[in-house]
Amino acid sequence: MPDMKSLPSPDEPAEALAAVVALRLMANKLEKKAVMEALEQGWTWAQIAEALGVTRQAAHKRHAGVIKKQTR
Amino acid sequence: MIKSYIRRIKLRILDIGTIKELCLGAEKYAHDSGEDTPGEEHFLLAAMALTDGTARKVFERISADPEEFSGAIKKQYSDALSSIGIDSSKIDIGSSDDEILAPKRVLYNSKPSAQSMMKKLVDMRRHDKEIPLLGAHVVDVIATSEQGVAARALRAMGISQETLRAAVKEEIKAYTFRA
Repeated sequence: MPDMKSLPSPDEPAEALAAVVALRLMANKLEKKAVMEALEQGWTWAQIAEALGVTRQAAHKRHAGVIKKQTR
Repeated sequence: MIKSYIRRIKLRILDIGTIKELCLGAEKYAHDSGEDTPGEEHFLLAAMALTDGTARKVFERISADPEEFSGAIKKQYSDALSSIGIDSSKIDIGSSDDEILAPKRVLYNSKPSAQSMMKKLVDMRRHDKEIPLLGAHVVDVIATSEQGVAARALRAMGISQETLRAAVKEEIKAYTFRA
């Protein structure tokens, strides 16, 4: 975890917001990979949803493409 | 009168085809980089792939290599992460990941930056009825954005908005269209 003191200062919002966008992209990719791995390990959608802190329906809707990959 | 009307109809038909090509191209570039929906940066990549070639020529006019734009997108992500102390050298953040599938969708969807770009493009086209929609027009609209991934990637290439827009004007002026 990076030192919070190294975060861009609020007087540099452009840099801070650019970092937010990059972090979101990184988080999305990590989430997809983790869901795919969880499904391969036999996790249920209810377990995945619980781990992500979302509803089962939300997790399923967001990662519906992963099921397609699983069934190929 | 009728000739002018037919010409305008032809232009609109051409524009519809170009918009479709842009949307599908941008979506493909977004998925290739592991993103669900395209943003302005993906539309710029799609514009460079259009057969009219004007988007690429705009970059060449200012001695910039259009091929470097996708690398510049990755660079701005890595610079942004570095600014908060994350070493992104081991994370290929803006690259494709074959294991990840594109999400299922029914309707076309894009990021707000792309939606805003498309709106500006439509507004611009209302005032230009002489030539079809070109890749250079897309570059022109994206060059007006001061923030966002595309703007930061252009800055990473050392390209200023003013220089890019001046090159767009020259390219569009040099373009000849035969209806």
